[in-house]
Parts: sequence; C-alpha cells; structure tokens
Amino acid sequence: MTRARKRAVYNSPIATMFSRLPGFSSRFLSLLLAFFLAMSLTGFASDWSAPEQELARKIAAATGPGAIALNVVNKSSLTKKDSDEIGQRLQAMLEAAGVRTVKPEQAAATVEVSLSENLRSYVWVAEIRQGASEVTVVMASSPRADTAAFDREALPVTIRKIPVWVQEDRILDVAVLEEASAPTHIAVLDPEKVALYRWKDGKWQQEQALPVTHSRTWPRDMRGRLILRQDHLFDIYLPGVFCQSSTTPPLSLICRNSDDPWPLSNQFGLGGFFAANRNFFTGVLSPGIGKQTATAKFYTAAALPRVNYTLWIFAGVDGGVHLLDGITDQSARLNWGSDLAGVRTSCGSGWQVLATRAGDNTGDSIRAYEFPDRDPVAVSQPIEFAGGITALWTEARGGFAMAVSRNGETGNYEAFRLALACAQ
Amino acid sequence: MRLSGWRWLALSSACLCAVAALAETRPQYGSVLKSATRITPMSLDPADRSQDDTMAKRNLTRLMFDTLVTMDDRGRLQPALATSWQSASGNQRWQFWLRRGVKFHDGTPVTPEAVAAALRAANNDWTVMPAVDSVIIERNNPDAELAAEVARPRNSISKRSEGGTLIGTGPFHLKEWQPGKKLVLAADEGYWGGRPFLDGIEIDFGQGSREQLIAFDLAKIDVAELAPEQARRASTEGRRVGTSAPIELLALVFTRERQTPEEGKLREALALSIDRNSIRSAVLQGAGEPNGGILPGWVSGYAFVFPAEQNLERARQLRGEVKLASAWTLGYDANDALSRLIAERIALNARDAGLSVQAVTTAHPELRLQRITLASLNPRVALSAVASSIGLTAPNVQGDLMEDVYQMESAMLQSQRLLPLLQLPVSYALGATVKDWSQGRDGSEHLESVWVGGRP
Repeated sequence: MTRARKRAVYNSPIATMFSRLPGFSSRFLSLLLAFFLAMSLTGFASDWSAPEQELARKIAAATGPGAIALNVVNKSSLTKKDSDEIGQRLQAMLEAAGVRTVKPEQAAATVEVSLSENLRSYVWVAEIRQGASEVTVVMASSPRADTAAFDREALPVTIRKIPVWVQEDRILDVAVLEEASAPTHIAVLDPEKVALYRWKDGKWQQEQALPVTHSRTWPRDMRGRLILRQDHLFDIYLPGVFCQSSTTPPLSLICRNSDDPWPLSNQFGLGGFFAANRNFFTGVLSPGIGKQTATAKFYTAAALPRVNYTLWIFAGVDGGVHLLDGITDQSARLNWGSDLAGVRTSCGSGWQVLATRAGDNTGDSIRAYEFPDRDPVAVSQPIEFAGGITALWTEARGGFAMAVSRNGETGNYEAFRLALACAQ
Repeated sequence: MRLSGWRWLALSSACLCAVAALAETRPQYGSVLKSATRITPMSLDPADRSQDDTMAKRNLTRLMFDTLVTMDDRGRLQPALATSWQSASGNQRWQFWLRRGVKFHDGTPVTPEAVAAALRAANNDWTVMPAVDSVIIERNNPDAELAAEVARPRNSISKRSEGGTLIGTGPFHLKEWQPGKKLVLAADEGYWGGRPFLDGIEIDFGQGSREQLIAFDLAKIDVAELAPEQARRASTEGRRVGTSAPIELLALVFTRERQTPEEGKLREALALSIDRNSIRSAVLQGAGEPNGGILPGWVSGYAFVFPAEQNLERARQLRGEVKLASAWTLGYDANDALSRLIAERIALNARDAGLSVQAVTTAHPELRLQRITLASLNPRVALSAVASSIGLTAPNVQGDLMEDVYQMESAMLQSQRLLPLLQLPVSYALGATVKDWSQGRDGSEHLESVWVGGRP
C-alpha cells in the first residue's frame, strides 16, 4: 500500500543562524562557544538546550555584551516549572556570554522573551528594545512532541483504569502479551497494522510492526479485534478481513478476505457475523445460544454465566439492550451506550458487565453492573474518559477489559486496561 | 419491595424510552442532514477562481471532491488520493503516487491523466505530467510548500463526465443542483475513505444568518451558520454551538500601493487609531481576537509582536506630520450589517486621529473592509494566499524557519496594503440530533463522519 518515501516536513527545527548575525567580536564568540561546549561536556541534558542556546546566541548577538533587563513570559502550554527553568538557563547562558541581567532602570536594553507555540513548534520570541530604536525580534523554535506513551500509573478506584497506550491513529484493540505488575509486552491493533511494543529501560520500545494487507475499503467507525491464541500468537478480525499470525518464528501476518464470524467471547464459544461495510454485527450468531441463532443487529455483547445457562446481553443498534438465554430474546431500554464487555472477577457473582453510558460522544464513562437476577445493579461509580469510547472488548482470559477512548482535546486514541477491584 | 427481573425490564421499557431515544454512542448510518449557507455558488468547479474563496465554498468542495493530500489539525500532510509523495531537484519537481482502486462517482477510475488534467486546469503555471501510477508536478522555481498547496480544496481532483457534469471522488455525489439555490448530495457507497454515515445532505443557498436561525429554530435545518456576533447569544439561549479557531482575518485592504512616504504615515496613523478591542466587545459581542498580524497566533506563534493596541497620541502625531490628507472612502459589503457597523466605527476612530474616512458601498473605494479566510495551516502558503487575494506580490523570503515566515509577514505588513484588525472564528448552530460534528482547526467540516441520531 503506502510506499515508504520521504514526506514533506514543515517548520523544521531552526538550525543555527549564527552566520547571519552581525556584530560578533571574536572574543565574544569564543566566550559563547566555550560556554556551550562546557555545557555539553558536563552532561547538560535539558530537552530545551538547543532552542535555549539558539535564542541566547541571537539575543547576545543583537545586544552585544552589556547590561539588559530580561523578562520571560510563558504564553504556551509549557508548565510553570519548565518555563521558570528555561528562563533561568537563558539568563545563565546570557551571563556566560557577557550579557549581564540587571534591573530595568540600570539596563541598556530590555529583552522580553515570550515562550509561545504554534501547531507544530514551540516558538520562543525575544523582543529587544534598545533606546529609541525599533524593536528587534529574534526567534528560536523547537518541534512539539507528537505522541507520548502514558506513565504506567494505576488509579485507585473500584474500576481500575490502567493507561496502556496512546497514539494518533485509531486504536482498534490492544492485547497484553506479557505482564508483571503491569503490562510489559503489548500488541496494538490499528486499521493498517499490528505493532508489538515491549517495556524496556523505562519506556515502551517497538519490537515489530506487521502490516495488515488488504484490498478493502474500511468502513467509518472502524472496528477490529485482536484475539490471543494458544498455538499461534494471535488472530485479527477486521471488517471483511481475517489475519493470522505465523505459528513459527519469525513472526509474520497473513491476511485474507473473510466473512467468518468474530469471536464474541473466548470463554463461551460464541461468534457473531460482522457487517463488513458498517460498524455493527448483523445479529446472526454462530453457533448460537441454545436454539437461538440470531438477534437484532448489535454493536457489542457480554456474557454472564448462570448455573444452567449463559445470559447474553447485546447492545443493539436500535439503542436497546437484548437479553438472550437460549430460549427468549427480551429487549430492554437501559440508559446504556453501545459498548459492553463482561469481566470475570472474584467479586459478587463472579462476572460483571462494563457498560458505557448513553448520550453524546463528547465525553464518556464506563460503569460496572451486576445482574443478580435480570435487573442490572450498578456496582461501581462511573469512571470518566476524556472522550467517547471507541472500543471496549473483554481481554482473552476474561479478567480485564480493554477500553479505547478518543481524547476530545488532543484527538489521540487512548487505550486503558480496566479491572474490577473488590471493595472489601 | 424488590421488583422481579422481567417486571423491572417491562417497567424500564416503559419509563426509559425518552432517554433511550438518545441512547446511542456508536455512529448510526442513515438520515439526511439539512443545512443552509449564506453563499450563492453558481458553479461547483473547485478550480473556478471567479467565486470568492470562502470557508463555506471550501467545505462544499470537500463534500464532493478530494485532494491528493490533506492537512491535519497540526498542519501535517496526510495521504488522500495520493498515498505518498516526494520532492526532487531542490523542491522544483514533486511526484505524487496515487491510491489504487479509487473511482470517480461515475465509476471511471482515477487515472494519472485525469489527475494531471485537473491540476493543470487549476494551476496555469504548473507543469503537470502523468506517470505510470503517479503524477509529476514541475515548477520553474523551488517550491518547498507545493504539497501543502496541493492540499487546498481549490486543487481538488475533478473531471467532466460525458454529459458535461462535474464529478469527483469525494464522500458524497451530486444528486440535484440548482446553481445559487440548492444542492442535494447522496452518500457515495464506494467511497475510498469509507461510506459516510449520512445518506445525504441538502443545502439551501443564499440564506442570511437571520433566515437560517429561524429555519433552525423551526427544525427545518440541522445546521445553521452563525455570524460572529450571534455565536455567544446563540449559546446563552441554549443552542448548541460549534466554533472553529479564529481563522478569518478581518482587515482593511488598500486597493493600491502607497504613493508617497506621507501616505505611508497616514496609513500608519489609521492603523494606530483603530480601537480593535471596542470593535470586539461592542460590535462582535466578544467574538474574535484583536490582531496586528496577518496569521492568527495559533498558526504563527508570534502574532503578539505585531501591535494591535490603539495609540491615538501617536496616530495624531503622524497625522500632524502630513500637511495635506485627502478623505478616504472605506467600502464594505452592503449585504452585511456587521461590516457596516465595523466600517462606521473605524470611520469614527479615524476622525479622532484627524483622518477623514467615509464608509461607503460604492464599487471603487480607496480601501475596503475585507474578510480573508485562512487558506492553509501552512504559514507560508497561508501568507501567499493572502497576498494573492489582495493583489500583492508575496515577498520572496527563502528559508523554512519560523523566523523566515516572520520576515515574510513583516514585509507584507510593511507594504501597508492591508491593516489587520481581528481574527474571527466560524460558528454554527447544531441541532441536538447532529452527532460527532467535527470541525478542523482550519474550519474544515468533516460531514462524512457526522451522523444523525435520536431523530423522531
């Protein structure tokens, strides 16, 4: 599909403009270079060192050695701590270059540094006023980070919401391949690939990315499942496409067009046929629940084992919930959204249902319910997400669910592992 | 007493229907979205330069046509009809590899020849050549921003069918077209980006803000454009409002270059006399951002270095340095009540500085109150587009640093052909049933992802 060619790049980091700046004496230059060299040799490791050095150099070039009044104003999303530190380091660099910072009334020039930003970069602007002359403007910029993985910090709530992964591309599903106290090896499925990451040296490192080869047009509100297997690593179910990982190393992925049913649960052996050009299951079940082989079109399903049967709950496309027990198909109107997942726990009846709330997609929440009989009873406070839930699937072993939400502010997709902790 | 399960279900079925009417989160397919707009396009041709390059026109184009590449909210290029691209020869030669299997709405394949023809029609000065699975664009001079230029809706790929109808590859295809009056579109089932959730869209043209709001309140349309000064009130009155980042530059544009240094002083005096803050608070009801620069701050990151504060003392001083100052006529759009109010306020401000400005609706004023929509999130492309729209030659500043962009913008401002006033957002009133409304930071609508839910 997409060939790996170099793409156009905008607003690349500002390279040195040293040669353009007039008025540099060789002594002054030597001082600056000596200072910057010393900084690098002593392991000065700030992320901001390049733009700091660049801006200090440009300010020094414009003012020359002497006394200035320096004021640093943060007009960006940088934290106060960062901006304070940047200001201090700028001051130190200027002092090292022979530009002393003094009170405004003692200064030959005033320098107002604004730490600003645009879509792609941090833009640091110095407005230099010397006497009655015009304001001189110099700038330095540094690219803003595109994505970042979450810190692995669990939240102490009844539903434990464990951040796992965040990226710009839509996340369809995430599978945890290995874990210690937290996931250490994960597979992230997006519409075009499955990427494997390992937690190593305090950060996630990509091990491999396997492209999903297909010739289909993906539907909007794309969905997909990543199912761990015993004899090979995983299967992938996408609208009209099925992929299987290789059984022997090296790991590879073979995909084919397929209308095979998607597994609705690893534990209860039920599959559902997915409408390849839409975002829902057709309602046809395989092999069926008892005598029932179909229900209304649905988005998601959750199973609750009973003594003699399994109660299946389907979030219908019509906004209602369908409960199938092998004999009856009862519909109910609950104030639930379209995503459900069952989770096995050591609490209560042993299985709970996680359900999104109904309503708009601007923000979302998930809450846990039990069905002591057939009445849903909320057993947790809702946990909030910064955007609509785009995927909610039960993990392979049933003990967790994986939720993906699209952050309304950043636009990034954020995957969280959800586990229910018993209150007592 | 505890209800039994099935009784509870029965009760909940009866009681929660009202809630459940809106109880959906995942997008639903179906429904026709109805909207209205102020513009009256007489042609749907993306390359037609005879029509104003408004945000509404661009969004109309996006419904039916695709570009080779698009730009995301961070100003980065993304694949569209082209899946990859590459420049060579110092950015003078660009090659775009086409997505395979894409078809025009009439079922004919999108070929390199068709793409080249469309780009040639839109850009007389480009040399565009089809290759095996790609198109090659050559320029006379290095053009590092050509791919960003290609992302503009005016460079959308279209062709004429055998019957002469304009067709594209976009998420919707034409169903009914009454130039200047009405447009009906239907979802394209085979759209390469995935079939839209909506079945169709109906758009009424030539509807003023007031007419649109009435139609909106009567539930005749799902989406209505809001004038900047209406947005806050619409929100406080309980309407759902979607607003873009500030993307429309409201500026005074002189129709000719300054002739003498004295004229330059007068233009500077005018710029310093204008009280942008009071225009914002009194006329625009708090909408917009006063701006002395051409690009909005969120695009450039340095807009604050261009002064936007009123300085009457300095304005009077400059006026006093020029002995003879003829009166200026300030033209505004006669159909736009907001423009009239702003023009009259500017005339008052100017008088305070000793300048004579008369707000008029005549055809050939000396300066004009103009709205210029941000053409691109690429700052250099956006500046070039502004220059082009006011008949100014874009300064030739080389280099791809933000500081170079700043130099380019400074040079444009120093020409004194335009005096930036404010940056305005684009706002819409949205019906309760309109879901997943998404508007890019550049004001682009993404109606292919919108769906309608809970409509009775």
